[in-house]
Amino acid sequence: MSAGDAFGLLGCGLLGLAAVASLIPLRRLPLRSRYAVMLAAALAVFIPFGDLPAAAYLRGVTGDVSVTTLFLAGAACIARFTGRTLIGPRDLRALFWLLAAAALFLYPFALGWTQFDPYALGYGSIYFLTALLLATLAAWRAKLYAVVFIVIAAALAYLAGAYESRNLWDYLIDPLVSVYALVRLLSGLRHRLSGKLTQAAG
Amino acid sequence: MTRGGWLKWGSLAAAALVFAGLYVRNLTLPSPGGFAPAPAARAASPAAPLYGAELLPNSTAASVHSAAAAEISGGRLRAFWYGGSREGAADVAIYTSVYSPKEETWSPERAVMTRELAQLQLRRSVRKLGNPVAGRDRAGRLCLFFVSVSVGGWAGSAINLMVSEDEGETWSPPRRLVASPFLNISTLVKGPPLQFADGATGLPVYHEFLGKFGELLRLDAPGHVIRKTRLSWGQSSLQPVIVPRSEAEAVGFMRYAGDPPNRILMIRTSDGGAHWSAPVKTALPNPNAAIASALLADGRVLLAFNNAGENREDLSLAISEDFGDTWRVVRRLEGDPGSPGAPVPEYSYPWIVQDAAGEIHVLYTWGRSRIKHAHFNAAWLEKRR
Repeated sequence: MSAGDAFGLLGCGLLGLAAVASLIPLRRLPLRSRYAVMLAAALAVFIPFGDLPAAAYLRGVTGDVSVTTLFLAGAACIARFTGRTLIGPRDLRALFWLLAAAALFLYPFALGWTQFDPYALGYGSIYFLTALLLATLAAWRAKLYAVVFIVIAAALAYLAGAYESRNLWDYLIDPLVSVYALVRLLSGLRHRLSGKLTQAAG
Repeated sequence: MTRGGWLKWGSLAAAALVFAGLYVRNLTLPSPGGFAPAPAARAASPAAPLYGAELLPNSTAASVHSAAAAEISGGRLRAFWYGGSREGAADVAIYTSVYSPKEETWSPERAVMTRELAQLQLRRSVRKLGNPVAGRDRAGRLCLFFVSVSVGGWAGSAINLMVSEDEGETWSPPRRLVASPFLNISTLVKGPPLQFADGATGLPVYHEFLGKFGELLRLDAPGHVIRKTRLSWGQSSLQPVIVPRSEAEAVGFMRYAGDPPNRILMIRTSDGGAHWSAPVKTALPNPNAAIASALLADGRVLLAFNNAGENREDLSLAISEDFGDTWRVVRRLEGDPGSPGAPVPEYSYPWIVQDAAGEIHVLYTWGRSRIKHAHFNAAWLEKRR
């Protein structure tokens, strides 16, 4: 198995584990039961049934997921398992805004809307790198260290050629995390709006 | 230093290092080379018109489609196509057969890739297989690209690459090409790969999810996509075929899927494929069907296409002596009234190869039940009908 395949399968497996950890109220279980549940989930995700393990079926649908998705999936697993949050609400909100902006810039054009193709910039563009550097410096200045860490991890994975892709975009963002960010932002806005309306009515 | 201090200055130092790495990688990328047109030196073709045709073997598949071929050692031709109980079925496999020009026969077909093998070797689920295309990279290896789908219809396609060091007898495991940020779906192939002077392989591809448009991928020697250029955009152009004439110049043709009039689309580049003109309609009809094209040894461009606006019952050949500006329909391969045809009158998805001996080969889907091989020389093209 190539390193790219191993990395891709591990990523999809981690996504599966995060889904299991989110569905089951692990914190209500005793510690031993939590270990047992996660071990069973890991076996279900990585042990082949039929021709392939569940992670490979998921990989068929999603492709290799970005480092950002891996980070959020890992953070979700740890939070459900230990109650410890790796990424604070301020960092999370900033990350979601960045992801939403990047997704709205990337996907419509990448799907053939115009002749301009921002995805092609991910193969090597000084402008793209400089924009990413400025965004990372802005995040650092705002003390959004989780965002900085995700960019560093994605860039390292890209430099190491960890995925099948040689495009930097694929290490930073994917449609799953983009949709997740948009849903979380919209739901946050809806809550804030309904709170203001309740205040005004009161 | 406090924990906060470590976090602050440590993250800045780490960011500085990785961005230095990104900039170094970026600034040391070699600039892309122009086209490396296929060697034009070929044996003189006999002056007497020559023509032959036969159906390729098919002992198992009820439905076959989308032939491709490449010349291999000894002047032989290796063809590929997909076949199964029906298009899109789980039992569809990629088949191959070898043509010997001396005996004018095709070897019995064998499967080079099945759905089961693809999903085992690609380490992900695969629901069906589709179009294969074949060619050589700059190292001379035979490359086979094929479409696979994990979810949904053809809009959910991705491309895979296998290489062979022994003219197609054995193959490497397939490698998935990543050509779209959107779950890497909706990238397909139909046109032959080409070579760039810098050693990269060019692969014309198209997308079918929401938009229908073409792109030209550049692959490095191991088969990673390292660059790409958009050939068109919007919702009406697909299946690009690129014909380079020099390091800088190439013309491309695309299937048209838009509003009438239905015409073959043409694009051009004069800077080695870095920039392409907007697609324009040619005078040749196109019933939303694949086309094939090749630069002949004498410098003319040959096009195989369905010469009708609405159906695939007529498969014809056209010649351009001015690199695509004007066309002359010279031959009809299929669709002559009164001539025996296939049970289902569909002649489609042509593929053209001119071999080192100067003979021209056209392979195409014959009635969806067989692949047909027509071979002729340049003199036959011009012979009065």
